[in-house]
Amino acid sequence: MGEGLRHVARHPLRSILTAFTSAIAIAVTVNVISLSFGMQADIAGDVDLFGRRTIDVGVPPALAPGAPVPALGDAEVARMSELLVGLEPIVVPRRQRASPVRAAADTEAVPQRMQLVAAPPAYVETLSIPLAYGRWLVEADDALPAPNACVLDHAAAARLFADPAAAVGAEVELGLDGALRRMRVVGVLADPMRYRELFEIFDEGEGARTLTSSLLSFRNVYVPARTFGGGAYTGVSIVLPDDEAVLEAQARLIRVWADASDLRALSGSSLIVFVRRQWMEALGASTMQGSMLGNIVWLLIVLVAAVMISTLNLITVRERYDEVALRRCEGARRVDIAMQITFEGMTTAVIGGLAGLPIGYFGASVMRSIVGFPFRFELRYAIAATGVAVLLGLLSSVVPARHAAALQPARVLGRRLR
Amino acid sequence: MSPVPHDPLRVEDCDAGGEALALLEGAARTYRSGAVAVEALQPVNLCVRRGDFLAVMGPSGSGKSTLLHVLGCLDRPTAGRYLLDGRDVSALADRELAAVRNATIGFVFQRFHLLADESAVRNVALPLLYAGVGRVERARRAAEALESVGLGPRMAHRPNQMSGGEQQRVALARALVKRPRLLLADEPTGNLDTVSGERVLSLIQAENAQGTAVIMITHDPEVAARAETTLLMRDGRLMAGPRPV
Repeated sequence: MGEGLRHVARHPLRSILTAFTSAIAIAVTVNVISLSFGMQADIAGDVDLFGRRTIDVGVPPALAPGAPVPALGDAEVARMSELLVGLEPIVVPRRQRASPVRAAADTEAVPQRMQLVAAPPAYVETLSIPLAYGRWLVEADDALPAPNACVLDHAAAARLFADPAAAVGAEVELGLDGALRRMRVVGVLADPMRYRELFEIFDEGEGARTLTSSLLSFRNVYVPARTFGGGAYTGVSIVLPDDEAVLEAQARLIRVWADASDLRALSGSSLIVFVRRQWMEALGASTMQGSMLGNIVWLLIVLVAAVMISTLNLITVRERYDEVALRRCEGARRVDIAMQITFEGMTTAVIGGLAGLPIGYFGASVMRSIVGFPFRFELRYAIAATGVAVLLGLLSSVVPARHAAALQPARVLGRRLR
Repeated sequence: MSPVPHDPLRVEDCDAGGEALALLEGAARTYRSGAVAVEALQPVNLCVRRGDFLAVMGPSGSGKSTLLHVLGCLDRPTAGRYLLDGRDVSALADRELAAVRNATIGFVFQRFHLLADESAVRNVALPLLYAGVGRVERARRAAEALESVGLGPRMAHRPNQMSGGEQQRVALARALVKRPRLLLADEPTGNLDTVSGERVLSLIQAENAQGTAVIMITHDPEVAARAETTLLMRDGRLMAGPRPV
């Protein structure tokens, strides 16, 4: 080991070059690990906000030609409550529609099309999104002859008002039944998407966001249940106390209606039962695939670095034929030579790897501040990256070490010494 | 110097008096390159006793170095056998050969072959590292060996800070620090001026006088004359050389 360390120290330029290659590989590793695991963890955290213990029952998003629209009214809601007896469900029917909306004070503004949902106050239970400002809807808001209170989501508040906090107390105009109706904003929901900017970079048409919102009960504007009048419900959200109850409720509901995991049901004529947790798990699996892609990228980079360092080490070994032959003359075994070369390779790779940790951290921080990439740096990632550096050192030393150990001193001496 | 004069080419009574150190019996070395076989060493008989001082002369390509490599356990004979200290080393595994080289054989090369980045004392201590000697003891013995070749004040110098003669003396100290029984010198004065060469030869002779067997390859008849016996290599065959004048 001492011999190896001395050799590393005696050839600073070569060692620095090797260490630099390792540093780049480890920096990329740290960067990608931090980003992919950070994104995965944050998305998992975000989707939890949309109601892990909620089941939605609604009409299929598309109907087969000629298929009747399945009924979803008070009778169906009552049936659901009967089916779920004993599971302590909170059953919340809702009606939703897209309507033009604008700030009442800004009469010049062109109304923006937003998603509205009319539901009883219990609707807030279907979300785990906290209020950023103001309060949620209460029964009293629905008691007036014409309900006039609403809650905005953070995105809608930001679109309608320069400062979302200033939305509370202000009035908005909603396009309902061909007329604009004024409603006072009583609250603003927090933005559940911590990486909204990033999300929007990759979703310019907002297709994914719209799909996400429509699958879940997250909308732009929440109004009291009677705001849209009567008629069929768009969907029913059922909140259950725990995961076990969710599974049991799903099992009971799909005895009557179609399971949304059955693709044929999505365009059928039956109501569909949609379990958010399953959708989140599918989303989690997708982000896992994204992480895997990231991992493949850094693995490839580590592999390329290993090849480059291996080549550098091999060149070094070729320059050291005389030294190796001499050491063998003086009693070094093949394993001594192999261990020395491996130790030298590992030392430079690990030193470079340790230098790469802060570089990777810095790079990830820069990416976060510039483009808002999610990023999570933990001690275990640093430990994993150091392990990768050791692996890199080992990988890059195998060929040079074997080559050096296999040298026949007699051949080297015979060719060079005379 | 060998206590009992003998003919090193006669192996029949090599072990008389238990003095045999290295014994080649029909040892040959053939190199193969594809379909071509090169017989670098024809079957050779050689008896080396403790305290012998043999010089081997011969033209380039005659097989001198091959003989030295076989004797130094750097190469194995492809035929015949090699007994070193009574042990057949022809079939030893690599790690055992490494141990034999480390414990028994000292090497001196024409081009010194010192580690350029290391001080004289660390160069000399190298064989002791592979013998498992501790760091302090290594340094002590290396310093002692350098003192013995007159380089006490140059211990911390690197090879590029030394003359050729000094470098060769460092190499000699490295060969002697492990107290070998057989010293193999390949043209030890080939790159030195007359004064430096003389000094190195004197040190080799002094080591031989203490009982270390020496086999020295040389092209120079005057250098060969310092040995007890001169042998001649030609076309891979070993034969008696000219008698010392």
